[in-house]
Amino acid sequence: MDRRTFLKLAGMGSLTFASACTLESEKKLYSLVKNQDDMVSGKANWYAGTCRRCPAGCGVLAKNREGRVIKLEGNPLHPVNRGKLCIRGQSGLQAVYHPERLKGPRIKQDGRWQAISFEEAIARIAEKTRSAAARGKNRVRMLTCLEGDVCMGLFEKSMAALNGTAPLVFEPFSHEHLRTANQAVFGVSGLPSYRMENADCLVGFGADFLETWLSPVEYARRFKAMHAYADAKKGRFFHVSPWRGLTGANADAWLSCRPAAEAVICLGLIRQVLARKGSSGISAQMARQIRAVCEPYTREKVIDLSGVDPSGYDQMAESLLRAKDPLILGAGTLGRGRGDLQANIAANLLNFVLDPQLGKIDFTRRHRAEKAAGHGEIAAFFDQLAGNPPDVLLLNNVNPVYALPPEMDTSGILASQQMFTVCFSNFMDETAQRADMVFPVSMALESWDEYGAYPDLLSFCQPAMKPLYGAPQIGDVFLRIAPDGTFENKDTKQALISRAQERWGISDTGAWLQAVRAGGRFDHKDASAGASGPAVTPGFQDWFEDPPALIRSESLLFAALPSVRFFDGRDANIPWLCEIPDPVSKVAWQSPVLMHPETARKHGVRTGDGINLINRTGAVSAPVYETRNIRPGLAGIQAGQGHTGPGRYSGGRGANPFSLFSLQRQADAETAFYAAGPLRLEKSGQRQKLASTAGSMDPHGRKIALTVTLSDLAAPPGPEKHGLAMHDFPLTLPLPEGYDAHRDFYPPHDHADYRWAMAVDLDRCIGCSACAAACYAENNLAVVGEQEIINGREMSWMHIEHYQQMDRPDQPIFLPMLCQHCDNAPCESVCPVFAPHHNKEGLNNQIYNRCIGTRFCAQNCPYKVRRFNWHDWNWPEPLNLQLNPDVTVRSKGVMEKCSFCVQRIKAAHGHAKNENRMIKDGEVTPACVQTCPTGALVFGSLMDADSRVSKLVKDRRAYQVMGYLNTKPAVIYLKKVVHET
Amino acid sequence: MEILIATIAGIALLVIVVLIATRGRPGRFFSAAGQFLAVIAGNRWQVFFFVLAAVIAGVFAWLLYIYPASGLGAAQPIPFSHRVHAGVKQIDCRFCHPYAERSTYPGVPPGQKCLFCHDHIIAGHPEIRKEHDYFNTNTPVPWRKVNYLPEHVFFNHQRHIKKDVDCRECHGDVQSMDRLKGKDFKMGFCLECHRKKDANVGCWLACHN
Repeated sequence: MDRRTFLKLAGMGSLTFASACTLESEKKLYSLVKNQDDMVSGKANWYAGTCRRCPAGCGVLAKNREGRVIKLEGNPLHPVNRGKLCIRGQSGLQAVYHPERLKGPRIKQDGRWQAISFEEAIARIAEKTRSAAARGKNRVRMLTCLEGDVCMGLFEKSMAALNGTAPLVFEPFSHEHLRTANQAVFGVSGLPSYRMENADCLVGFGADFLETWLSPVEYARRFKAMHAYADAKKGRFFHVSPWRGLTGANADAWLSCRPAAEAVICLGLIRQVLARKGSSGISAQMARQIRAVCEPYTREKVIDLSGVDPSGYDQMAESLLRAKDPLILGAGTLGRGRGDLQANIAANLLNFVLDPQLGKIDFTRRHRAEKAAGHGEIAAFFDQLAGNPPDVLLLNNVNPVYALPPEMDTSGILASQQMFTVCFSNFMDETAQRADMVFPVSMALESWDEYGAYPDLLSFCQPAMKPLYGAPQIGDVFLRIAPDGTFENKDTKQALISRAQERWGISDTGAWLQAVRAGGRFDHKDASAGASGPAVTPGFQDWFEDPPALIRSESLLFAALPSVRFFDGRDANIPWLCEIPDPVSKVAWQSPVLMHPETARKHGVRTGDGINLINRTGAVSAPVYETRNIRPGLAGIQAGQGHTGPGRYSGGRGANPFSLFSLQRQADAETAFYAAGPLRLEKSGQRQKLASTAGSMDPHGRKIALTVTLSDLAAPPGPEKHGLAMHDFPLTLPLPEGYDAHRDFYPPHDHADYRWAMAVDLDRCIGCSACAAACYAENNLAVVGEQEIINGREMSWMHIEHYQQMDRPDQPIFLPMLCQHCDNAPCESVCPVFAPHHNKEGLNNQIYNRCIGTRFCAQNCPYKVRRFNWHDWNWPEPLNLQLNPDVTVRSKGVMEKCSFCVQRIKAAHGHAKNENRMIKDGEVTPACVQTCPTGALVFGSLMDADSRVSKLVKDRRAYQVMGYLNTKPAVIYLKKVVHET
Repeated sequence: MEILIATIAGIALLVIVVLIATRGRPGRFFSAAGQFLAVIAGNRWQVFFFVLAAVIAGVFAWLLYIYPASGLGAAQPIPFSHRVHAGVKQIDCRFCHPYAERSTYPGVPPGQKCLFCHDHIIAGHPEIRKEHDYFNTNTPVPWRKVNYLPEHVFFNHQRHIKKDVDCRECHGDVQSMDRLKGKDFKMGFCLECHRKKDANVGCWLACHN
């Protein structure tokens, strides 16, 4: 009797008892009720739509399997993102399937929430609004997030019919200062886009275009078009700011300046440019005015005022003056008061002085975010609510209680008994808690809508799945609450059809279907690149009357930092975004106070010490995180966390920097600033472990993330001598030709037809972590939570490592790290049960059902990419609906790791076999490769000599991370190209 | 296999008892039956427990392998007969499981599809009325699943059909079964065929991922 049969017999009796003498499977198989034309079980349907997680408006393709959307990918046809998505776009799905998503409307009665039906809720809102409208003008008010034209049209018409004014658009990141600056300098009150790809020298004064600024995916692409190494050239990027976030970490040089001193530096540069290049192309009057503004800012004064490193400043000025196509970007979105506006105006002026034609600013392609109201208007709106409360207040998908300074008392205003507040929101956030009714509406993936990132862009949203809880869409609600006869259309889809007909001439069904299939109409052409900008209207002098405040402050100052993960706080409750660490600080789940080690020492605190930051308006408490990415004298917290609502993943987690802001009103009612006054630091006496996933950012002299200078690349390659030491170990491809009898113990692997490999261009990687989020979505990775991350048990298969450059420790470098699918894999040789082993296409398989959990493989892996399941992780319902049915959900006690998305390789095999051919290059794209906004990752087969990856591995920059261990990795990295200092 | 082992084990136990009770000379079972019975009587409790155990084992074996219904599969909410549809009426498998050739899963027919025919054929039969009730109340039919694969195994119907593997090779003679009895799919079953046909036996590339 063999072992298996013995165990079978031994178990038989007890199992038979346990299952009450039935051997039938308990699982049910549900059939559909009706035939579905477009649903083939086991096959995905893709629906084009628009991402609505931020105002950028990228195009998405939603992958629907058996009726539920399981993955989002960028729409390759869409002009904004061209097939790519950011970390937030990838994670948008978890908002749809969030366990706390409201299933139906609730109404507050005697301080208690009671569930009511959608019908009842609509009837209740209609009755309230109509009776309020009958009582006079402006008895119904509305605040909305940025919506598409169709929705805004419905809102405006409904509000007009309800005797009210048009709804106010509230976006916490309104880019108001940039808009005001454009008005002051160019006479355009809007947000033109920047043709960054045409520039050869970029100077940013804090604009975080890789995190939250305007349109991150689009600008990541445009940035790398000018900044990636190509044709022996590489553009330059200088980042001038008191801190260095993700955008700053991608700069060639970070010029640390005092807070609010960016404008001073910019004015100094204008002065130098005028002195060197003169004012040709600028009208005499204009030149005089610009001179008047920048005249006081000599080099010495700039350096003195801003505290910037003199040699860095000179280098930047020199690069800028020598550049053929320089482009200047202003300040970021997060409030630092008047300094932001001054920096934006000065940046506009510098752009104008450098290129009076303004060829790199596209005034025809304006970002939709320009429609958001400014701080002043929002403040006035809440003043009116406080002074003269309307009868009904409608809030659509906004969270002012979280995002506005506490002194505006939005919380108190909304809680007012006089107003009936309806909050159209899918979550019980801070604002919804204070409303009288919460009405969940269907999300963008579940409804017909339209959202064009640019004025002439038609970009659809269509139902890629049935609304999860049957909620109506907001447009339909407004069609029903408006007085009868307001609208001819009976639902939003009809309004969309008629709008498409009027605006884009889509009149017949064929054209409509074509547009819906593509996701919109993308044939809109950019205005020709040489078109000149509008006439520059002088109106900027007033803003420079007083020198920027705060510059010389000796007390601890505060900065709210942009976060690539949480945006304005709306995404803080999404588990993937909490779990994937910030690429720069590498801290997950928490929002620590970033502080320069000097500042920390001065205040007697160190990393992990709990502190309270207190100023006139509020207080936050958070642990300290010492980093050199922030200027001494400054304490910074990333925006997004610190919610007080009941969020499962966000409630009471982290700190909210908005709560330290105060509102600074200006003489003209339109402009207002948010700024945080000087801080007081108190130790809370508690220590907190940071949920950091970085062991060390110092490579300790090991060849991990490498750089190469431009001049080294320009020089002809010298004779190479290969040895077996770290510095001279040759690049060894994971192919039979990489076998060397002198150093290999095992015979070479033979590969049949394919040898999958990936090329990672470190010069293109910006560290945005979109790849990590795509991997979580595609491969059913578990979210382990803060404590398990502290225990070192994160499950990411693909993560971004942040290192200091070996030659220049002050400069960061990002390294995407995933299973290297080594040809000579250290994990394979130590497993007692052959759970990891090499397959015929070169993949390093991990067989879950064979794994017994010794963890020897993880111990022996030099790349530390293997993840052990310490628990059976759970996906709180309905998050489990997102799971990819093509990938096993791993259970406790099993090792797992990157599979190069083998399910996609198998699907490609299927297609190729059906057509009786080989898999073509580019046909297999793992999830990370698919979403990389800058195209840093390339996947293909090394057996195909013409594949892109085969060509890239022959690049001079190619190397293998720790290849000197003779692991023969199949992930080949290309060194980051840096400028000589 | 299990039956064989259980039977042999049972016989072996019987032989052991006889050998013990006849003190090593089985011939005495016949020649000195009285003595044999005395030994049995002397050890009646042991014998009782042994017989009890044998009876319980026998009952299990009977229930599992010999009981008339053990050849049948699970009782379904509607007693659909594959024998009638696929055997007698000769309806092609792909009529009801249309995606077998083009997808991973063959597809289970929606209730509506049943009624395309059964609106005309025995439309008033009480079991067909049940199907109507499911359809009219927009309720999916809760079929009992008979074929079961562990979660870490991915079987692709398309690939097998394209290689001209007959449905019956894995699913058995469905045409002759009223109540479908699921095949007990084990890795050995897959491997046997994969080896015979020289098909892919790479873990990830073939079945697991």
